[in-house]
Amino acid sequence: MDKQTRLSIVIIGLGGIGSILCEKISRFLNFDKRVESTLTLIDGDSFESKNLERQDFTTFGNKAESKMKELSSKFKRIRTYALNQYVDKKTVSTLIKERDIVFLAVDNHKSRMIVSDHCKTLNDVILISGGNEYVDGNAQLYVRKEGKDLTPDLCAYHPEIRTPQDKLPDEMSCEELINSEPQLYFTNLTVATIMCWLFYNAVVNSEYTKSEVYFDISTMSLDSKVRKVK
Amino acid sequence: MYTKETLETKKVTELRAICSHKMGISGMSKKRKDILIDKIMSEQEALAKEKESQTVTNIEATFTSTLTKPSAKFGNKASTTVRVSCGASSGDFAVAGKSVGGVMEFLKEVLNVSKMSRPLVNGELVDEDYKLSPGDVLEFLKPAGSKG
Repeated sequence: MDKQTRLSIVIIGLGGIGSILCEKISRFLNFDKRVESTLTLIDGDSFESKNLERQDFTTFGNKAESKMKELSSKFKRIRTYALNQYVDKKTVSTLIKERDIVFLAVDNHKSRMIVSDHCKTLNDVILISGGNEYVDGNAQLYVRKEGKDLTPDLCAYHPEIRTPQDKLPDEMSCEELINSEPQLYFTNLTVATIMCWLFYNAVVNSEYTKSEVYFDISTMSLDSKVRKVK
Repeated sequence: MYTKETLETKKVTELRAICSHKMGISGMSKKRKDILIDKIMSEQEALAKEKESQTVTNIEATFTSTLTKPSAKFGNKASTTVRVSCGASSGDFAVAGKSVGGVMEFLKEVLNVSKMSRPLVNGELVDEDYKLSPGDVLEFLKPAGSKG
């Protein structure tokens, strides 16, 4: 990262992972004098009392707008924007642009596929995606520079993302949304932390040899993988 | 190596013995002392040159070795193991020569390998009947976390 770098950060999904992640990334960017940053928060969901055990908000309401208010008051050097919407095939090209650094912290593979496929059409983009089950999870780094993949896209080694069996949030019924599987705060926290590692290595150090990291809290293990671009 | 001075101190019979027994020079049994000395000296020089041309002054080589039990007192210490991982779980297992499908069955509980996991060997997708070699790196691809 050179002096006076301008970074355009986009965080999609402000649930258990994203609500932790946006705070950590903002703190880092706000106090790094080398960068001028804009931060765009995207989520169509609202923070409710049922989210309290895992998600880090101080007010109820739309997650993107609520978080934007919090971060703007804490981190004055960052211009923060909120978009109260979900990502889908129609909107993705207006939300993610050339040279963006995108953090993807959504709760479905269909959104991951849409965002990964869109990033593949750009020349320069960094996409960092994370997801988890109850006690384990992973994070992936997709880097494109000058129209070439430097690391594999999100689908390359993950057929479950390439052909997702799940739905976008706005395709789900109320019942499906209510009956979502339980998650552990510490697992969300670990994914957010590993996404910060990938960001630091890729953006600050230009190091992206290891582009996928797995962890398992129950066995207290972590393994990072070198993936070949297909 | 004999010097000329050393050889001159020796008797003719001793010089003939050097020629025949130590240096393997034949046809010297009736030669004079000065001829014997000249022959021994020239033979020594020729041998020295030959030796010099055969001397290895520099070797470039790469040696690789993997030890599973470097401190073991007995047995073959060379590795026949394969690095096997699935997600965050990994280990070195003595499964060289076995098929990927066999290893999957053998380690499915240890590494929590699901039937849907696709196998990669040294980063490349392989079939289940692929035979593993020592030093291979086998990964069973674990599905990405779906929640957030």
